[in-house]
Amino acid sequence: MNPSIPPSTAEYGGDEVSAIVLDPGFSTTRAGFAGEDTPKSLIPTYYGRYSSDGQSKLVFGDDIFVTPRPGLSIHNPMGRDGIVEDWDMAEKVWEYAFTSRLTGPKPGNPLQNGLNDVPEGELSTEMEGVETEEKLLADSPLLMSEPGWNPTKSREKTIELAMEKWGTPAFYLARNGVLSAFAAGKASALVIDIGASNISVTPVHDGMILKRGVQHSPLGGDYISSQIRALFKSNAPQPITITPHYLISSKTAVDAGQPPQAKYKTFAPDRAPDASYRTLLEERTLSEFKECVVQVWPGPNKLSATGPNGVSNEELAKSSPGRPFEFPDGYNQVFGVDRYKVVESLFDAKAAIPDPESAFPAPTPAQTVPELIKNALNGVDVDIRPHLLANVVVTGASSLLYGFTDRLNQELMQMFPGPRVRISAPGNTAERKFGSWIGGSILASLGTFHQMWISKKEFDEHGPNIVEKRCK
Amino acid sequence: MPPFRDEHILIIAPGSQVTLAQLGLPESFTPARFRFPTRMFPAEKKGEYEPYKIRERRQEVPVSNGNGTDAPKEDVEMKDAESAQQDGAVKTENEPSEQPENAQKTEGQDANGEEKQGTTTEIFYEEDVTSDEGAVYPIQSGRIVDWPCFFALLTHVYNTMSPPFHTPIMLISEPAWSARDRETITQFVFEKFKTPAFCLMDSALAVCYGYGTSTATVVDVGKDKVNVTAVTDFLVNEHGRGIALEGCGGDYMTDRIVELLGPKGFTREMCEQLKRSNITELLPPGTPLPGAAATARQGANPAASASTGTKDGNAPNENIPRGPGEGTQTGGEGNGEADEDEGVLDVAAIVSGNTSEFLANREKEKAEKASTKKGATDQSGKPLRLPNSKKEKASFQFEEYVRIEPEKDTPNGPGRYMRQSREIEVGVERFLAATPKQNSGDRLTGGLLEDIATQIHHTILAVPDATKRSELWDSLIVVGNGSKIKGFTQSLLGTITQKYILSPSATMFTSEIPSNFSTPLPTGGTNTPAPSGQAGPMNHPAGHGVNPLLVAATHANNPMPGTPSMDPAMSHHRSTGHSQTPTSVKTLRPPEYFPEWKEQSNTNAPGAATTGGPGAPSGGHGMEEAVFLGAQVASKVVFVIDQGVSKGFMSRVEYNENGPSAIHEYTM
Repeated sequence: MNPSIPPSTAEYGGDEVSAIVLDPGFSTTRAGFAGEDTPKSLIPTYYGRYSSDGQSKLVFGDDIFVTPRPGLSIHNPMGRDGIVEDWDMAEKVWEYAFTSRLTGPKPGNPLQNGLNDVPEGELSTEMEGVETEEKLLADSPLLMSEPGWNPTKSREKTIELAMEKWGTPAFYLARNGVLSAFAAGKASALVIDIGASNISVTPVHDGMILKRGVQHSPLGGDYISSQIRALFKSNAPQPITITPHYLISSKTAVDAGQPPQAKYKTFAPDRAPDASYRTLLEERTLSEFKECVVQVWPGPNKLSATGPNGVSNEELAKSSPGRPFEFPDGYNQVFGVDRYKVVESLFDAKAAIPDPESAFPAPTPAQTVPELIKNALNGVDVDIRPHLLANVVVTGASSLLYGFTDRLNQELMQMFPGPRVRISAPGNTAERKFGSWIGGSILASLGTFHQMWISKKEFDEHGPNIVEKRCK
Repeated sequence: MPPFRDEHILIIAPGSQVTLAQLGLPESFTPARFRFPTRMFPAEKKGEYEPYKIRERRQEVPVSNGNGTDAPKEDVEMKDAESAQQDGAVKTENEPSEQPENAQKTEGQDANGEEKQGTTTEIFYEEDVTSDEGAVYPIQSGRIVDWPCFFALLTHVYNTMSPPFHTPIMLISEPAWSARDRETITQFVFEKFKTPAFCLMDSALAVCYGYGTSTATVVDVGKDKVNVTAVTDFLVNEHGRGIALEGCGGDYMTDRIVELLGPKGFTREMCEQLKRSNITELLPPGTPLPGAAATARQGANPAASASTGTKDGNAPNENIPRGPGEGTQTGGEGNGEADEDEGVLDVAAIVSGNTSEFLANREKEKAEKASTKKGATDQSGKPLRLPNSKKEKASFQFEEYVRIEPEKDTPNGPGRYMRQSREIEVGVERFLAATPKQNSGDRLTGGLLEDIATQIHHTILAVPDATKRSELWDSLIVVGNGSKIKGFTQSLLGTITQKYILSPSATMFTSEIPSNFSTPLPTGGTNTPAPSGQAGPMNHPAGHGVNPLLVAATHANNPMPGTPSMDPAMSHHRSTGHSQTPTSVKTLRPPEYFPEWKEQSNTNAPGAATTGGPGAPSGGHGMEEAVFLGAQVASKVVFVIDQGVSKGFMSRVEYNENGPSAIHEYTM
C-alpha cells in the first residue's frame, strides 16, 4: 500500500451490540459484556454512606475498602438470602456496576459528541425540543441472574427496573444455578454454589431448574468468618482482636504469640467511620485468613471421627504443620488444628464453634452441605439422580477454600456409594468465582438465544408478569 | 496488507496535563518528541477548538490608499526582523499568513475616541502561547470529560504530525476509560483519520513493556489521581485495580504546601514551582527534619514543625526579589544585553517556529546559566555543603511571566512576555509535601503515601492468582510525573514497609524452625536486622526488618552452616495454598539499554549539589514517562514484528466488519 494514497472510504455501517450480563450477588456484583470470559466490572455490593457539608453522600465500588471517610457507614441492598431488600439502592449499585467500567455515564447527545458532522444550519433548531436524554441501557440488551428461590414479586420488580428505568430493548432473567451449569458446559447438573451469604444446591435438567429440589442455607463465607471470629475470641493464650489496617499507622515486628506493638491511629469522634465500616475491613483481613490459613479437612470421614488405624482424625490434623498468620497490627500466631475446625461445621453441624454473640445461630444438621445435597436429590425424579450425581458442578468463591472439593467428593461417595459421582470444579479461580456470570455471558452470546429475549414491546403488551411466563 | 514501517507509526499518549506524541520509531527509543499540553481553547465558533489562546487585539490603522491590510503586515514583519536579530531563530515567512488574514476590517468603528477620519480599527487575532485563560482540559483525573474537546486535541496532534495515510496509530488508554469510551475513540480514530490499523493499549501494560517485565505492580502518579494496576503475565488485572484514586496525585503535594505556606504569603504558583524545584524532597518515614525540628518526626506534628522553618519571616512573605536575580529589570527593547534578553519571550518567534523546540532550547540555556551561577554562589557563600535533606533552609528560583504592555512606539507588536525570577527561601515545609492535609475534605486521609500504599495492598490482594502476589510486591514500578519529586519512591517503600511488611516470624519458617531458631542472632554480616519501620536511607528497604536467617534461607543456594535442615526444599513443604504477603517490597530497575532515557534521568536528577546524600534517589528518575517508552516497544512488536498475527491491533478491514465494539478483542 502506498502511504500517500488515501484509503478507500468503505466504512462500518452495522450496529453490532453485545448484551450486558449482570450477576448480582450478596458480596460482589459482576457485570460485563456477553461473549467475554470475565466480567469487566466487579464491584462490592456493599456501599458506603456518609454525610459531608450537611449532605448525604454515597460511595460505591472498591473505594469503600481504600478510603475511610468521616462517619462512613456500610450497607448492603441485598438481604442475607440473596433477595433484594432495598430496591432504590440496589438500582444505584447496579447502575454503578454498568457505568464505572462498561458504559460510562449516560451517553451524551449524539449531536455534540464529536462523532457526527453536523452541517451548518441543519438540525439545530428542530432538535431542540426533542428529549435528548438517553436511558442508561437504551442500546444494550440485559441478561440478569437470580437465585433459584427468587419470589415472583422480586422478579417482576427486576424487569420493571430494567425496562422502565434503564430502557433496555430486551431483557432476560436466568437462574444462576442454570448459568453455572452452562459455564461448566453442562445442560444437566447438580450445582453446588458456595457464596458469601448462602450455600445452595440447585438441580438443573436440560437447562431448567427443578424447583422442588432447590435447597439453600446460610452457611456461606460470612458464616465461616463468624466461626473464625469465634475461634479468635476463644484463642489461647489471649483472644485475638482484629484491627484493620486503616486504624494502624505503623507496626513493629513481634515474635509469634507476643502482644502487638503498633502505633494506632485515632479519629476524632465526630469524624470516625461507623462500626459497620470496621466490620467490612475486618472482613478483608478474614478473607486473607481464609485464603492463607483455613483448610477443609479432606476426609475421609469427619474431623471428629477416628481413622481406620485407630488414630483420630484430629490427631492426624494436629501433626500436620501449622500455618502462621500475621494480623494488621503485627500480632502473629501459628494456627494448627484450629484452621480445620472453622469450616468443619459446613459438613458436620455438631463441630460448630459456639459463639453466643454471633449473628448466625448454631447450624442445624439440615443446613450442612451433605444434607442439602441429599434433600435436593430427594426432591427430584429418581431417574435423573444418577445423571445429576455424575455432573456435580462446584462454584462460588467460598468453594475455593483449600481442600473443599476433596472433602465434598468424600462425602458424596459415602452418601451415594452406588452411582458414579463426578465433580467438576474448575481450577481457575476466576471461573470458580464468576461461574454464573460466565454462564450468562455464554448464553447471551448464543445465536439461538435471540428468540428468548423479552422485548420491550412484549413487556409493554403483557406487563411485568411476562417474566414468570418466559423465564422459567 | 503491506507491512508497516517504523517511520510511519504514530504514537499518542494522552494524559491529564500533557499529551505525548511521536511519529515514527527512532533507532533507539527516545522520550517523546512532542509534548502537547492537554488543553484546548474554545474557538470563536461554538463547538470548535484552537490549540492556543486566541486574543483579540484592536488597533487603529491609518487608511492609506485603501490598502488597509498591507500596513500591519509590514509592521509585523518589521517587528519580526527585529526579534530575529535578538533570537536568531525566527522564520519570518510564516508570519504574514498568520495574522493579517484574520484581520477584519471594521470601518467607521470608533474605539478610543480618536479621530475618525483616516483611521480604521483592525481586529487582529494573535495566539498567546503562555496563557491558559479559558482553557478546556478534556481529561480530568484520567476521565474524558469533554469529548468534542478531546477529539479536537487528537485532531490537532494528528495534524501537527501530519502522518502519511499508511500510518498505524497506537493510542495509550487511561484505565479510567470505560468500555464505551474506548469504542467511541476507536470509532473516531477509524472514521476521522482513516487509519489502516489501530491499537488501544492500557497505560499500565505499556509501562510493563517499557520495563521489559511481564509481571509488575504499576503505580502511576498523575496530576490529581493515582492508578494502581497489578499486571501478571502481561495481563492487566481489572478486578481490584486502583482506578483514578482521587486526591492522590501531584496536586495533593501542591495543596499541602499551599496549606503550609499559604499563610506566609505564598501563591499557589509559587508552591507549584517549589514542589518542582530540587529542594523539595520526601524524606523516608522516621527521618528527623533538619534544624530546630530535629526532634520532631515527620508526620508527628506537621503543623508545629512547619512553623519552625521561617521564623525570621522576612524571606518568603514579602515578594521582594532577593539579590540581583537575572531578568528582574524590564529590559528595554534596544538594550541588547544578553542577561536581560533572556527574560523576554518573543511570542512571535515561538508561534512561527517550532514551539516546543524553541522553548526547550531556551530552558536549556537558562538551566545552564542558572546552574553555573548557582554553583558559584554556593561555593562562595557556603563552604560547608550539606545535603539538602540536612539543611534547614534552602531557596529556589521562582519564575513567572509578566506580560509587558505594548510600548507606545510599537503598539502593534505581538504580545511580549518577560520572565522574572527571584530567589525564595523556605524552611522545612519543603519536606512535608506528603504529610496529611489538615483539610482533607471527605477523606480521612493518612497522607498521600499511605493512601497509595493502602491501594497497592488492596490491588495486590485482589489478584486471583495468589502465587503471583509475592512477585507483585517485589516488582513495584512507580511512574507518572507526580512521582518526580525527590524521594517519592523511597518514601512510598518506607510507608509500605511500616504498615504492611510481615514480620519474619509470621512467615513460613516459624512452624518449621526448632525453637532455638525463633530469635536468630545477627549473622554478623551486612544485614543486621534493624527494628522494622526504619526504612532509613538504605536503598533496599526490603532488607529491613527481615530476619537474616530467612533471607539466607530463601535467597541463598547453600544452606547456612549449622542449620542443616534448612534447604530450599523446606519452602515447598507447605504444599497447601500459599503464604501471606508481602514479606518484602522492592522496585523494579528500569532497563539500562535505552541511553536516551538514561540521559534524561541525568538532567532530571535534582540538584547536583545534593547527590550522595542519604536521601539521594536511587534510579527511577527519568522513567516517569516510561509509558511512552513502552508504547514504542509495543508499537514495534505489534505493528512491525507481529504484523497482527496475534491480534495485537485492529485493522480497518476488521473495523468495517465488526464495528467499534470489536476493539475489546484486541487484548492490549
